[in-house]
Amino acid sequence: MPVVDIDADELRELTGHADKDDAELKADLFGLGLEFEGETDDGDLQFEFAPDRLDRLSVEGVARSLRYHYGDARGVYVPETNDAEWTIEVDESVPEERPYVTGAVVRGVDLDDAALDSLIQLQEKLHATMGRGRAKGAIGIHDLAMVKGAPLQEGAEPSVTYRGVDPEGDTFVPLDSNDELTPAAVLEEHDTGRTYADLVASYDRYPAIYDELGLFSFPPVINGKRTEVTTGSRDLLVELTGTDQWTIDKMCTIVCYALSARGATIESVEIEYADGAAFPEEYGSALVRPNLETDTKSVTHDRIETLLGVDFEPEAVVDCFERSGLDASYTLGEDVTYEVEIPPYRVDVLHPLDLIDDVGRAYGFDRLEPRYPDVGTVGGRHERSRLEDAVRTSLVGLGFEDLLNFHMTSAPENYDRMRVEPGSDVVGGGDPVSITEPYSEDYTQLRTWALPSIVALLERNTHNAYPQDVAEVGFVAERDESENTNVAEHRSVAAAVARRDASYEAAKGRLQALCDDFGAELSTPRTEHPSFIGGRTAAVVIDGEPVGVIGEVHPAVLAEHDLEVPVAAFEFRLDALR
Amino acid sequence: MRLPERQLAVLEAASATDERTIDDLAAATGHKPETVTGAAFDLRDEGLLAVSETTTEHAELTDEGRRYVADGLPETRLYRAALDAGAGDGPVPMGQVIGAADLAGHEVDVALANFPRKGFGAIDSGELSVDADADPEADPEATALAALAADDDADDPIDTDVLDRLASRGLVDLVERTTRAVTLTDAGVDALMEGVEAAETVGQVTPELLASGEWRDAEFTEYNVEADAPEVNGGRKHVLRGTADRVKDVLVGMGFQEMAGPHADSDFWINDCLFMPQDHPARTHWDRFALDVPPMADIPEALLERVEAAHREGVGPDGDGYHSPWSEEFAREIALRGHTTSLSMRYLSGYAGAELEPPQRYFSVEKVYRNDTLDPTHLLEFYQIEGWVMAEDLSVRDLMGTFEEFYRQFGITDIRFKPHYNPYTEPSFELFGEHPETGEEIEIGNSGVFREEVTKPLGVDCDVMAWGLALERLAMLTTGAEDIRDLHGTLADIDFLRNAEVSY
Repeated sequence: MPVVDIDADELRELTGHADKDDAELKADLFGLGLEFEGETDDGDLQFEFAPDRLDRLSVEGVARSLRYHYGDARGVYVPETNDAEWTIEVDESVPEERPYVTGAVVRGVDLDDAALDSLIQLQEKLHATMGRGRAKGAIGIHDLAMVKGAPLQEGAEPSVTYRGVDPEGDTFVPLDSNDELTPAAVLEEHDTGRTYADLVASYDRYPAIYDELGLFSFPPVINGKRTEVTTGSRDLLVELTGTDQWTIDKMCTIVCYALSARGATIESVEIEYADGAAFPEEYGSALVRPNLETDTKSVTHDRIETLLGVDFEPEAVVDCFERSGLDASYTLGEDVTYEVEIPPYRVDVLHPLDLIDDVGRAYGFDRLEPRYPDVGTVGGRHERSRLEDAVRTSLVGLGFEDLLNFHMTSAPENYDRMRVEPGSDVVGGGDPVSITEPYSEDYTQLRTWALPSIVALLERNTHNAYPQDVAEVGFVAERDESENTNVAEHRSVAAAVARRDASYEAAKGRLQALCDDFGAELSTPRTEHPSFIGGRTAAVVIDGEPVGVIGEVHPAVLAEHDLEVPVAAFEFRLDALR
Repeated sequence: MRLPERQLAVLEAASATDERTIDDLAAATGHKPETVTGAAFDLRDEGLLAVSETTTEHAELTDEGRRYVADGLPETRLYRAALDAGAGDGPVPMGQVIGAADLAGHEVDVALANFPRKGFGAIDSGELSVDADADPEADPEATALAALAADDDADDPIDTDVLDRLASRGLVDLVERTTRAVTLTDAGVDALMEGVEAAETVGQVTPELLASGEWRDAEFTEYNVEADAPEVNGGRKHVLRGTADRVKDVLVGMGFQEMAGPHADSDFWINDCLFMPQDHPARTHWDRFALDVPPMADIPEALLERVEAAHREGVGPDGDGYHSPWSEEFAREIALRGHTTSLSMRYLSGYAGAELEPPQRYFSVEKVYRNDTLDPTHLLEFYQIEGWVMAEDLSVRDLMGTFEEFYRQFGITDIRFKPHYNPYTEPSFELFGEHPETGEEIEIGNSGVFREEVTKPLGVDCDVMAWGLALERLAMLTTGAEDIRDLHGTLADIDFLRNAEVSY
């Protein structure tokens, strides 16, 4: 879940509540769903929250939410936007993998160190969330005074160009460096470049933004040093590139709201996708950004009342909407319906239901009286669950300790240490269902049988007292392309008797008792299995079907598991007892 | 008259004129004092012996008292160190003397409290002065401690005020001790005069003894019934299964039907149906166990189309979709389920069996797989309790009422519902409750009403509320296990399983 770092003094200043102490702020933020996690080294308070309200990724957004929460603000707020002077032109050379761009000009910023830190934090947090690690959207913020976009022709607007560049085709000085590097060199030599190299490494041309003086930004990797934002910067150029226009537009909106909250003025930019360049079809090839238009959704009074289980007066609902930073209007009639206006920084409202959630939060979910639903249904266990349980009960009655082992294992555990070949025609020899990118070499596949888990458990417990009679009714799986999932899943009954006098007879006596419990007819014709001693191994045949194996575990297997007592064991398919 | 051998021995060792204590009798008969005590009471019940009891108070040194006998009382050590530091000639800094006296921790407080009380000197503004005339050698508390140490059983007449003072300082424990003594009664004397024989004793009841009827005349050897018996380990159900059974019982009692379904499933059933965008971080390889098997061929076409439409365009006239890529190819890939909500999707869509008409309640307690690090509170695979209720016009209050009732069954009351966000439910709540023993506030589940983007494509036209929680979390609360790996997996310790308390 996202974490936002907040300087408590800044929060007090931005909310206009100088009197709130840290404890009160923490309590108020908990009410909004931001949970206090701890403090940073610099003494900032850290809050964790669910990733829906991404407009709260900086202190400015959190302050705005608190002002609504306190009742200091009501309804939708949209900052004024001045007309565009600047244009971002999109050249047809832009890499097709990252076609879209958006941006804004922000004037009159007054960035002290805290405000600059907050802006950088917001940028990084947006990258991590909506930007999907910069793959889907990346933000570059530049000191506009250092961007040279004077028009080539008299009277034309200043502009910058988003275009593609050959990896070795140009040079610039990136942030945190003093060297002129090509984009390809940045990916190899620069720390930030190496971190994000995977995002663009496969592109034929790399994304780049040019002004009159040349390359000044290499999205999504790093900005140029020339346009670096400092506390002395007054006017900013914000540019975003990415794979989805809506996503970068929304990220841009959240940045603009944050800067506007600190008194800056937002100025539009024009985005012009050149002929031949891919452009976002739903918006066209000429855009004016940032897009601060509000959205509207309608929701019925009846749905609000049934979902929350509360009777409301329409005015009370409108009050809840306004305290959530929304505007709502309605007409009285048989069915009251609210037209709700949603500010552009909200990225989480996909459906009218999301508006009902806002009403619930504003009203206070903690005010709702729980009630047990007056709905009659009949309960019951699944047939297989009852069978598993009955077999487990019989095994426990026969003196077995019931086990619960992991379903994931490794090939050495499942096959090699049991002397079984993968793909062989013996119990446990089925083809493995392997994990594509295993996290640990101990867990690389599903187990094809349960006995290896049991022998591994005995291996772990040689320090404990014997006898150790253990059993498991559990999940096993093997590759099987006749199944829709291409995985055949079974429940297996596996048991082992580990004691000084463990013998084939000891195992068979217990297996026989178990089969008798379920009225199943057991026979044990001689067979061979690499995990068991030759001549002391049999197939488990229940009601005429071969379903498993029983025998004395081979000394080679025991030695492999550091076991110094004999072990007799059996394993068969649970379904045989149905 | 016949008496068991030990009773006879005690009777013969007793006297009609002198009281003999239990210890005396034990020495005389060669039996243990507790055996003699038992026999004496049996004989008293027969009217052959009289038993008297006297209670005396007795002082025993505590560990701290014993330590001071060896090292000297802290205040005495302080006094000597102060003298050595020249306090006889004028006040000396206290810190220096404490160091020299080798006092630490609790002993410092003890020394500083008792030093002035005993008139060894005065403490003022961090400086110590001593009364050169004081004589620690004559300190009655030290003398009494030494006397007690010299002979723990000594009944020396130590002044009771001194004893009380030592007890209040925690240096001695005052314990009551009961001494029993016996004398022969007249009946006892008569019996001995007439002659008493020892009865024959039998070690074990045998079939022969029962068949012959000889048991009638047999005296059974007494066992030490308090002694430990050899360890017996019967089989028992796994402690986590016990918790799972309890959960199933509760849910069946509340009208829930159990679900079952595949562990390896397509991303379609695991995530797409749940309205999880395909570029959601939980769907990357970091969290997900993708399997190297071919994709799922058979997914109902119409359902697939409706789910894709929900992702791309949203549901309803005012619905918006995600601005995320969506591919059928990804939807068909097979992975281990990260939650059992895949089963809920199969049941709600009617794919797992019959089309469901409201009202319905379903649950499962089944395994899920998460690509995480293995540590005391996280497992790669664990059990998820999943439940849902499908009915017309369910409200958030019904959700709250249902979950309150469920948790109440496990002794967890005062559930708190913290508004939360899930991609698949709205409104959503994290559930918090108080630990029944520690009183700590802990997260015990996640819940909500399924979004229409989930239910509509499945063909469900009413409300469905759902919740989930890790069974292990509940089990750790009820068993007190601190390392989840003790409970679950091949690392499990058999001893732990054998000794874990049964939950019911």
